[in-house]
Amino acid sequence: MDPATVPAPSGLLLAASVAMLAAALWLLLPKSSDTLASRRLGILLGALALVGFAATGRSLGSVGENGVFLTVSAVALVSGLATVVTRSPVYAAIWFAMALAGVAGVLLTLGAQFLGVATIVVYAGAILVMFLFVLMLAQPSGMAPYDRVTNEPMLAASAGAVLLGLLSMSIGRLSAIEPPACCRMPSRADAIASGSAAPVSPEAGDEVARLGAELFGRHLFSVEVAGILLLVALVGAIAVVSRGEAAAESGREAA
Amino acid sequence: MSLSISHLVVLVPLLPLLGAIATVLLGRRLGPRAHLPALAGIGAAAAVAALVLLGTAADVRGGHGEPSRPVEVITTLWNWATVADAGVADTASGTPLGGAATATAPFSIPVSLRVDPLTATLLVIITGVGLLVAIYSIGYMHGDPGYPRFFALVAMFVFSMSMLVAASNFLLVYVFWEAVGACSYLLIGFWYSKPQAARAAKKAFLVNRVGDFGLAIATFLLWMTYGTLDFHDTYTADGTIVPGILGQTRLSDAAGYVGGAVGTAICLLMLLAACGKSAQVPLHVWLPDAMEGPTPASALIHAATMVTAGVYLVTRSAPLFIGCPGALTVVSIVGATTALVAALIATVQNDLKRVLAYSTISQLGYMFAALGTGTMLGFTAAIFHLVTHAFFKALLFLGAGSVMHAMGGVIDMRRFGGLRQLMPVTALTFVIGAAALAGVVPFAGFFSKDEILAALHSKAHPAAHASDHAEVRVAGGALPDAAAGPFRAASYRSDAAPRGAAGDAVGLDALDRPATFQWLYWMSLFTAGLTAFYTFRAVFMTFTGPLRVPEEAGHHAHESPREMTGPLMVLAVLSAGAGLVLFVTDALGRFLAATPSLSAPAIVATAVPHAFHLDLAIQGTLAAAIGIAVAAIGHYGRRSDSATTARWLGPLGPILANTFYFDALYRVAIVKPLEALALVAALVDRYVVDAAVDAIGRVPGTWGAVARRLQSGLLQRYALAGVVGVLAIVLALAWQLRP
Amino acid sequence: MIPAPLLINALLVGAGLFCLGLVGILTRRNLIVMFLCAELMLQGVSVTLVAWSRYHGDWGGQVLTVFVLTVAACEAAVALVFVLQAFARTGRLDAAAWQSLREETLPRVIDRELPEGDAAGPTWPTLTPAGVRPPEDASHTLEREHV
Repeated sequence: MDPATVPAPSGLLLAASVAMLAAALWLLLPKSSDTLASRRLGILLGALALVGFAATGRSLGSVGENGVFLTVSAVALVSGLATVVTRSPVYAAIWFAMALAGVAGVLLTLGAQFLGVATIVVYAGAILVMFLFVLMLAQPSGMAPYDRVTNEPMLAASAGAVLLGLLSMSIGRLSAIEPPACCRMPSRADAIASGSAAPVSPEAGDEVARLGAELFGRHLFSVEVAGILLLVALVGAIAVVSRGEAAAESGREAA
Repeated sequence: MSLSISHLVVLVPLLPLLGAIATVLLGRRLGPRAHLPALAGIGAAAAVAALVLLGTAADVRGGHGEPSRPVEVITTLWNWATVADAGVADTASGTPLGGAATATAPFSIPVSLRVDPLTATLLVIITGVGLLVAIYSIGYMHGDPGYPRFFALVAMFVFSMSMLVAASNFLLVYVFWEAVGACSYLLIGFWYSKPQAARAAKKAFLVNRVGDFGLAIATFLLWMTYGTLDFHDTYTADGTIVPGILGQTRLSDAAGYVGGAVGTAICLLMLLAACGKSAQVPLHVWLPDAMEGPTPASALIHAATMVTAGVYLVTRSAPLFIGCPGALTVVSIVGATTALVAALIATVQNDLKRVLAYSTISQLGYMFAALGTGTMLGFTAAIFHLVTHAFFKALLFLGAGSVMHAMGGVIDMRRFGGLRQLMPVTALTFVIGAAALAGVVPFAGFFSKDEILAALHSKAHPAAHASDHAEVRVAGGALPDAAAGPFRAASYRSDAAPRGAAGDAVGLDALDRPATFQWLYWMSLFTAGLTAFYTFRAVFMTFTGPLRVPEEAGHHAHESPREMTGPLMVLAVLSAGAGLVLFVTDALGRFLAATPSLSAPAIVATAVPHAFHLDLAIQGTLAAAIGIAVAAIGHYGRRSDSATTARWLGPLGPILANTFYFDALYRVAIVKPLEALALVAALVDRYVVDAAVDAIGRVPGTWGAVARRLQSGLLQRYALAGVVGVLAIVLALAWQLRP
Repeated sequence: MIPAPLLINALLVGAGLFCLGLVGILTRRNLIVMFLCAELMLQGVSVTLVAWSRYHGDWGGQVLTVFVLTVAACEAAVALVFVLQAFARTGRLDAAAWQSLREETLPRVIDRELPEGDAAGPTWPTLTPAGVRPPEDASHTLEREHV
C-alpha cells in the first residue's frame, strides 16, 4: 500500500472538520448556558468531525483490519473527548480509563503487545486508581462550582482544533516530507534494507523478548536512572506530605 | 650664596603647605592647640624668607656696577607638562620673536621658582605678616568651632601667595592667582552659616572671575606673541637660549617687546586681572563685602597681601607696560580714580571694618597710580607703599579686630566710644597705624605716599624734574650693547622684528600727556586729605570721648589677650619706623632696582637720584593736617555721625552712602539680566530637558502597565498564551513547508 | 514493521488524543481533571512514538514509551501530593483558587454565572445498609474487667 496512491483529503474537508471539532468542543464543555439540545448538537458535530478526520486517514486494505483499527481508535478518541468535557471528575476519570483501553487497543493493533498491556496495568491499574483516591479525599459534596464552568472555552477549543488540523495536514503530506538520508537516524529498517541486520521476526513472544533485551541491554543505564527517578519521586512525595501537613496544621493553629 | 637661596626658596612655600596639611590631618586631634602646625610652618617660612632676603641683598650689593646688575635665581623643580610641537600660530600680525620660538617649538611648563629683589621683598611681607596674623588669631579665633579649619586655610593661603610671587611662569602665576582667590573665598565664607558671609564669598569669587578671565586671555596672548610663558631665559642643552618674556635676553633687546594693539591688549587684560584681585574700580565691589570674614583673614588677605597681587603683577610685567604708554596711563587713571572714589565712600561709612576696607581700596589705588607713571620712581614707590601699607593696614585691621573682639562682635562706630580708657594698647597702636595711613610726618605712610606723589608730579611736570635725570635719559630707551653683552648668545637672532614694534601707536597712547598726570596728581593730593579725614574720624569715634560700650560686649569689654596685643605692638613699631628707615637709607629702592623686570633699559632710563622733595612733602602734610583738623572739628563740635554728615554733604550724601551706586548699577545691568537668563534656562531645563527625560523614563513604565495586565494569576491563561505561541510557530512551519 | 497507512492512521489518533488533552488542560479548572488531560496528551505521544517505532522497526520508540510510563507515574505521585497540599490550604481543587499570585492592582477574576441545573451533582450508587453496629453494653464491659 503506497500512501502516494491514496488521494490526500481536500483542504476543504479538513477545514470543515476543524470548524466542527471546535464547535463541538465549545458546545460540550461545561458552561452556564448548557441545554440538552446544545449538548446533543455538540455530540453530533463531534461525531461529524471524527468522521471528517477519519476521512483524512488511509485505508488499511482488508475490512477486518480497518474495522479493528477504527473501533479501537474511535473508542480512544471518543473517550478522550468525554474525559475533557465531563463535568464530574469521577466520571472523567472513568472515561479516561476507557480512553486508556482504546489506546491499549491501538498499541496492540500496532503490534506493541507489551506496551499495550503495560498501559492497562500501569495506567488504569495504578495511576488512575491513585487519581480516584485523591478525588475521594478531596472532592466536596455535590458539584463544585469550578467543575461547572471552564476557562476560555472558545479560544482553547479553537486553538486545539486548529492545532489538530495542522497536524493532520502535516501527517497527510507525510510522504512529501520524508527526511533526506543524511539527516535520518540510522534505524533498523535501514539496516535491514542494506542487509546488515536480519529482518524482525513477526512472532508476538519474540517481540516482547526483544523489547526486554533492548531495554536491559542497550538502555540499561536509562532504565536504572528511571528507577532512581521513581525512588526519588516516592521519597519526595512522602517528604512533602509530612511537611505540608505540619505546615497546614500550624497555619490552622495560627489562624 | 645663590645655591643656598635656590634651595631655601623652595622651603618658603613648602613649609606652610606642610603646616596646612598637618593641620588638616591632625586638627581635630589637637583641639585647642590646632594652631601649632600652621604656626610652625608659617614661622619657619618667615625665617627662611628673611634668609632669602638677606642673601639676595648680599647678591645685589655684590654687584657694584651702576645701574644695578639684575639679580635673579631660578630653581626649576620639575617639568609640569610638555606639549610637543605646540606651534605658535603664525597670525597675521607677524612671526614669533626670535628664532627660538619657531612654529614647532615644544610648549613646556616648568615648575620653576625665582628669587629676585621683588620676590624676596614680597615673600618677607607675606610670611612676616602671615606669622603675626597667625599669632594674633590664636587669641582672636579662640573657641571657634572652625579653629583648625581657619589655621589650615591661613597656612594654605601663605603657601599659595608665596608661590604666586615666586613662580617664574605666567601659567603658574595664573594657577596660584586662582589658588589665592580660592583661599580668599573660603576665608570670606568662613562662617558659612551666616547668609551675608556666604553671599559675600560668592560675590568675591564671581567678581574675581572677571579679572581672572582677563589674566587667562592675557596668558594666551602672551603665548601667541612670545612663544613661551616663562619669565626667565632657558638655556637648552645645545647652547641656544629660549628667551623668556622677562628674561635678560629680551630685556636687553631694544625691540624685544611688542607694542601697538597687541601689547596694549595684553596690558589692559592684565590690568583687568589686577583690578579684580586688587579691588580697583570698577571691580572693587567685592572687597567691602569681604569684611564678613574673620578679621585676621581680612588683615592678611584683604589688606596686606592678596589684594596687592595686582600691584605685583603689573610691577612684574613692567617691561610689557613700558611699551604701551596708553595702557600705562590707564593704570594710573584707574588707580587715582579708585583712590578718590573709595576715599569719598569711606568718609561716610560707620562700620569700622568697612572704613578700613575702602581705605585699602583707596591705598591700592595709590599704588596703581604710581605704577602707571612707568618710571623707576613710580614702580619702587608703589612697592614701597605696598610694604608700608601691609604693615599699617594689617595693624589697623588687627586693631579693629581687637575692638570687635572686645565689643562682642559689634563693629558699628556709632555704638561705642572712648575705648582708649578700656583698651590702651589697642588705642595707642591703632593711632600709630592711623597716623601712618594718614601720612603724618615721621610715620611710614608719609614717606611712601610722598614718593607716589613725587612720581606723579614728575610725570605731570616733566620740565620741573628735567634736571633730575637729564644725564641718564637715553633716546628710544635703548641701552648700549655692552650692557646686554653677556646675554646676547650667538643663536639668538634679534633681527627678527617683533610684531607691532614700537612704531605703531594706539589711540589710547594719546592719554599719556602731562595734563593727564596733572589731574591725577591733584586728585591724589585731595585723596590724601580725605584719607586723613576718614582715618581720624574713625579714631575719634572709636577711642575718644566718653566711654560707651554696647550691651553685646558683656564680659569681653577689656583689653585683648597677649597673643593679640603682641602682633599689634610689633606692627606698630614697623608702621612707625619702617618708612623712615627705608626712605632715609633708600635701601628698598636700590634693592628693587636690581629686579630683572625693572632693569629694562626704558625703566632704568627714568631712574632719578634719590631725593627728598620738600615742596611735595609740604603739600602732602598740609592735606593730611587739613583732613585731621576737619575730623577733629567735626567730632568735637557735633558728633560726626550720619545725620550731621548728611547735612554737610547735601546732595553728595546719598551718592556716597550708596557707594556711588556701583552695586545698584551692577544689579540692574548684569545681575538682573543674568538672573532672567538663568530663569529661562531653568524653565527650559525643567519643562523641556527634564520633561524629555521623564517622558523617556515613562516609556518602560507604560509598557509595564500594559504588560502587567497579563499577569492574572490564572495558570491556564498562561498555558493558553503558550499554546497560542506554539500554534503560531507551527503555522509558520506549515507555511514554510507548504507544497 | 507496519505499513505506511497504519502509521498515518496511528499518527492521526495520537494527534487527536494530544489535542483533546490540550483543550482539556486549557479549559478545565479541576486540578485532577487537568492531570487526567495531561495524561491523555502523554497517551497521544505514546501512540505516536510506538507508531514510528514500529514503522522503522526500531526499538527506541518503544523504549522511550516505557520511560514515558515511568515518568508519568513519578509525575502523578508528586503532583498529586501537591494537589492535596493545595486542597488542604484552600479547600478546593480549583486552579483559579491561586489567583492571589496575580499582579497587585489587577482585579480578581470572578465567575459571573454558574449553571443552575447540575449544582446537585450526580447521584452516586449506594449500597443497602447492612451490618449495623450493635449498641454498647455497659455490663459486658464490666464483665471484661475480670478477664
